[in-house]
Amino acid sequence: MDSVVITITSGKGGVGKTTTTANIGTALALLGKKVVIADADIGLRNLDIVLGLENRIVYDSVDFIEGRCKLRQALIRDKRAGELYLLPAAQTRDKTAIKPQQMVDMINELRDEFHYILIDSPAGIEQGFQTAIAPADRVIVIINPEVSSVRDADRVIGLVEAHQKGSAMLIVNRIDSARVKKKDMLSVEDITEILSSQVIGIVPEDEEILSSTNRGQPVVLNSKGSAAQAYRDIARRIIGESVPLTMPSTGLFWQKLFGRA
Amino acid sequence: MSSFRELLFGKKSAEDAKSRLQFVLIHDRAEISPGLFEEIRNDIIMAISNRLNIDPSYISINMDEESGERRLLVDVPLKNSRRPTAPRSTNH
Repeated sequence: MDSVVITITSGKGGVGKTTTTANIGTALALLGKKVVIADADIGLRNLDIVLGLENRIVYDSVDFIEGRCKLRQALIRDKRAGELYLLPAAQTRDKTAIKPQQMVDMINELRDEFHYILIDSPAGIEQGFQTAIAPADRVIVIINPEVSSVRDADRVIGLVEAHQKGSAMLIVNRIDSARVKKKDMLSVEDITEILSSQVIGIVPEDEEILSSTNRGQPVVLNSKGSAAQAYRDIARRIIGESVPLTMPSTGLFWQKLFGRA
Repeated sequence: MSSFRELLFGKKSAEDAKSRLQFVLIHDRAEISPGLFEEIRNDIIMAISNRLNIDPSYISINMDEESGERRLLVDVPLKNSRRPTAPRSTNH
């Protein structure tokens, strides 16, 4: 199978890597693709709880690496979205538990069977990050429109190039169009100009994300909201459809109410 | 709500963010810290002021990046250059 491995990373923590990975993976599966989303954040795993699959984990990727199970046994199927599988990280180990080459070998084993393998990278640029990008064909960098996130992203983009992974693509996450309009927040154009990288998605700040995460239900499963739509658009761009990049309106209640965005 | 700075300079915070980022990223990418930059500046002042009459406070040293090419731009105005076209001075 012609599989694509995409690592989702950011440098800075807390910008929405895990939520983005969960939603893009789910959206790809809803488009009929066979998808694995692999958590590479060993010791601080969260993809399981964001997806609502935390109670179903028996084995994880470290169990596979250390020979306690087959890779198939570590995959958890998410029946809500067709052929979607989670490969969980170990929670009680650290980033040294999987070496970059072991990661490459493990992901290669999945390539025959799946269209897309998304890897949720840990924050930072140390070993965990390097292990997470080792098997990647493409790298997506998540950015929030604020100075520390953009600066860290620039560093990560440089490292991705240094690792011969080509030029990273950007997702600008948690943008608030009303604040951009008031020039009180960096715009997507500002960020593209500063980082000179291609943007593959613009995700608005949306209250729905917190409530859907609270419930373990990625927004793309059942929401018509603006963030959900943005994730679906990204999934369609990933599979090669041409979807124009537009500035989404925010999913903030008071702004929807007063039509500010 | 406008900040004090905004009222004073009429500048929006996103513009500040952009220019500050552009400055810091040039340093980050070149792996030259602003501190090292200061040292280079002092070296240049020393080297030039041995030979020419300059005012160190007017020296500007900047880094510029255009299509992936980085350059160091040094601007050194000369002091007392009232007669810049007089090549042969006899009054010494």
